[in-house]
Amino acid sequence: MVNERVNHKWGMVVDIDRCTGCQACVVACQAENNIPLNTEAIFRQRRAIEWIHVERYWEGEFPDVKARFIPILCQHCENAPCEPVCPVYATYHNNQGMNVQVYNRCVGTRYCANNCSYQVRFFNYWEPVWPETLKNQLNPDVTVRSRGIMEKCSFDIQRLRKAEHVIEGQRGERITDENLREGNFLPACVQACPTTTLVFGDFNDPESQVSQMKEEHFVEGGRGYKLLEDLGTEPNVIYLKKVDIHAKTGVETHA
Amino acid sequence: MGITRRQFLRWSGASAVGAVVFNGCRIPEEELQVESPVDLPEDLVTGIDNWYATICRQDQESCGIIVRVVEGRAKKVEGNPDYPINRGKHNARSEAGLQSLYHPDRITEPLFREGSSGEFTPISWAEAHGKIADSLRNLPDKNRFLLVTQPLRGHMALLASEFVKSYGGKHMAFETLEQVTLRRAIKDVFGQDRLPDFDIEHSKYLLSFGADFLSTWLSPVKYSRGYGELRQGAGKRGVHVQVDSRFSMTAANADEWVPVKPGGEGVLAMSMMHVIIREGLGDRVAANALTGGNGYMALDAFRPNNSEVRDATGVDASRIEGLAHAFADPANQPSLAIGGGSAGAHTSGLFNLRAIYSLNLLVNNVSQPGGIFFNPAPPLEELDSREVLDMGVPASFRDWKEMDRPQVLMVRGVNPVHGLPPDANFTTAVENADFVVSFSSFMDETAAMANLIMPEHTYLEDWGDDVPDPGPRYQTLGLQQPVVRPFYPGTGSFGDEMLALGKELGLNINDSLGLSGNDSPTFQDLLKKGAEKLWMENRGSVKAATFDGFWNGILQRGGWWDTESTDKTSPAAPSILSMAWPNIAFQGPTGDDTYNLIPFLSNSIADGNLAHLPWLQAAPDPVTSMVWHTWVEINTKTAEEKGIRVGDMMEITSPNGTVKAPAYVHPAVPPWTVSMPIGQGHTTFGRYAEGVGVNTLSILAPITDVDTNALAWAATRVRIRNTGEHIDIPRFEGNVPAFEAEEGRIIKIASPR
Repeated sequence: MVNERVNHKWGMVVDIDRCTGCQACVVACQAENNIPLNTEAIFRQRRAIEWIHVERYWEGEFPDVKARFIPILCQHCENAPCEPVCPVYATYHNNQGMNVQVYNRCVGTRYCANNCSYQVRFFNYWEPVWPETLKNQLNPDVTVRSRGIMEKCSFDIQRLRKAEHVIEGQRGERITDENLREGNFLPACVQACPTTTLVFGDFNDPESQVSQMKEEHFVEGGRGYKLLEDLGTEPNVIYLKKVDIHAKTGVETHA
Repeated sequence: MGITRRQFLRWSGASAVGAVVFNGCRIPEEELQVESPVDLPEDLVTGIDNWYATICRQDQESCGIIVRVVEGRAKKVEGNPDYPINRGKHNARSEAGLQSLYHPDRITEPLFREGSSGEFTPISWAEAHGKIADSLRNLPDKNRFLLVTQPLRGHMALLASEFVKSYGGKHMAFETLEQVTLRRAIKDVFGQDRLPDFDIEHSKYLLSFGADFLSTWLSPVKYSRGYGELRQGAGKRGVHVQVDSRFSMTAANADEWVPVKPGGEGVLAMSMMHVIIREGLGDRVAANALTGGNGYMALDAFRPNNSEVRDATGVDASRIEGLAHAFADPANQPSLAIGGGSAGAHTSGLFNLRAIYSLNLLVNNVSQPGGIFFNPAPPLEELDSREVLDMGVPASFRDWKEMDRPQVLMVRGVNPVHGLPPDANFTTAVENADFVVSFSSFMDETAAMANLIMPEHTYLEDWGDDVPDPGPRYQTLGLQQPVVRPFYPGTGSFGDEMLALGKELGLNINDSLGLSGNDSPTFQDLLKKGAEKLWMENRGSVKAATFDGFWNGILQRGGWWDTESTDKTSPAAPSILSMAWPNIAFQGPTGDDTYNLIPFLSNSIADGNLAHLPWLQAAPDPVTSMVWHTWVEINTKTAEEKGIRVGDMMEITSPNGTVKAPAYVHPAVPPWTVSMPIGQGHTTFGRYAEGVGVNTLSILAPITDVDTNALAWAATRVRIRNTGEHIDIPRFEGNVPAFEAEEGRIIKIASPR
């Protein structure tokens, strides 16, 4: 159960300068969250479900060409455009800074996906199907979503609930970066990321790495920014700019 | 209906109504199968998860992993935070091991057939064992036995080497796109038999030639971890420059990509050396040793302004000088040069890699933070013999081509029928063998040609160990334990089977492995034997008063390592480099519409041994976002000129054949090349691999490195032709409609501080 004593505000920092586009987060998320198999046919229909995915943008022409990677996941906006349009309150903002989706309220209007500026909501156009043996892998802590339901990144809320239960409920300690990591309570994408691009934690805890990174990088000339900041959605996922050694000198061949 | 089991039993036992109740209102079967908790293993508590440490065997890196097990089923793989190689990190490939365990198309029991065609019929493991034993016993010339496996390390290498030594015959390790040349270059330049550890984390200037080290090269999780720190760790941000004939995932992440002409990597490195020595920038002792005391004049042919250098590399003199200056710049020390992948896959492969690794000698970075660290010998003496270490060295293309035709062939863990180009004639060897045994868990191309299939447990159900290569600079022994019970009762352990065969055939391997006195030793017994020796040395990460305590300790932590046990040998003095102009040759068509074909290992399915896993098939290629297919990457401008659109079916023809694949057009393909991922085109390998894409390896020309006879897999030239057909290609890109976002640019750029 939600522990009322501790007031968390979960969030993430994504350092794009570290991201290599390796897809470890993508597959980790699919393993943890019982995401239906994205078959070839589903990709052709443009209906693949990837709660976190890596976008690749091109800049320039050969030979001065750059590919830039950016992991995109639900931004867990404070002013989430998806929330007010849901007629059945299936998506709402919880008291821990997360935008959550209640699957058994969802009636599949898809208004939320329409209104999401980040295109991170995914609709189950089909009943998910697994061969009988592969079902043995399914995570018992996560509901399998049926056809007609909207789904999206949950910050692996099942792990956070467990962390609250174990760390705060049983041990009576406060959740810190360390005990989240030690207990395998961090979101699956964060645990997997080989380059430590993704950092997860509690923005309400001034000691947490995310709070300190926010403080360090959200200064004049710092690397911190938010996606489509002008929209005023106030995301709880913040990004750190890619560093380009040619940024000031243009297309000079050497640093 | 509110009926409990106790009530049911009471009713049916005490009254005549029982039969009626039984028929008319059946208790669900599952309920009757529920076992009383007193009989369950102590760690199997309903609703509680357990994490077990083991190692991942999806690729050669073998990361330490921890696996979440709930009620006897493996649910999730995470990196083992203790394990020295990956330190808590892992990649998409290790994650997908679960799908191999629970794959719907696993072979569940041994299959046999007379002859090489006809239907397989299921037999018991004991019968299958009898059949192999008979075939080995009746083999007149024992030397015509061949064991083909992946490169083996640790106790499996020891067992296989003892088996081959006492029975006879030969072992060959198979690696698709083998690293034969790389190992030779490391030996030549540094005098090392083992691959060294590259300290990417602390490097300030990382120069990589062709090595796709963030994706598939050697130890990608370890390198990726170091790369994150190189970028935004505690120190000054390091610079990464990628010299590559293809825009790989690693090149895409580089601060600067130098698109070199295929095969010209070595010339570029020599040319940089010329600049460094001429300007007196590097270590003078090393410079003298490399040039035989003749200085830069010895390298005169490689001077950057020589037009031949320009022709071979496609890189301007000023840029080469810039690279040389940056590499040797005191402000950029420690700098590090690594090379591999396509840079070593040319007729001049060994020349290239020698030149590249010699750059390190000029900046004197051996055993320096941010440089190259040599790895010590394996922790146990018996794992360090020449025969055992050779089990981990892949055979070269020439070795395959010229191998003696085996009569009894045993294949474990690899699929050479799919992975070797047709010119290696491996398929013929399989066809002509009298008896072929496959230990594959899946009906892959090699297994489909076998007489007998003895499906192995997956690595999550089996014992094993690993001595990582490249290691983490100190002695390490990773331990693989079964995290779940075998999912199918009909599968078995390869190690156990080899030991049983040894006993059955009267070989004395039990004695030489120190297992005498044990009537039916298992592979686990062998591992314990090794662990016991480690325990007695009383050093390293786990120490305990009793062996049981030690064994539990290493199982819990996923292995044993001793951070004190670094390599103490001093590096051999640099030897003189060959200054002769290399022979860079290609095979295939020239002229209009012809290109160098640069094949590459897929970031997800690697060389194709993971093509059967749907998560990996569906993981987008980082650069193209392609999934579930083989594609051919073509430069945007070239495509415009030729009228090629994304999704046009192209015919790619080499002297060795033709394959058809859809075009993927992007701006970062050098106009003189096309590139294609390998690993698809399986005719049989389970439902998720069959009929997906084409086998790129099947069109590679049989051209080899002049020194090592390794396949020069990047030296094939091809002609491409638009067939006029067009398909809607499966890719992630465009999954969500792009929208105008010029105002709020998604990826923002900063300049370095």
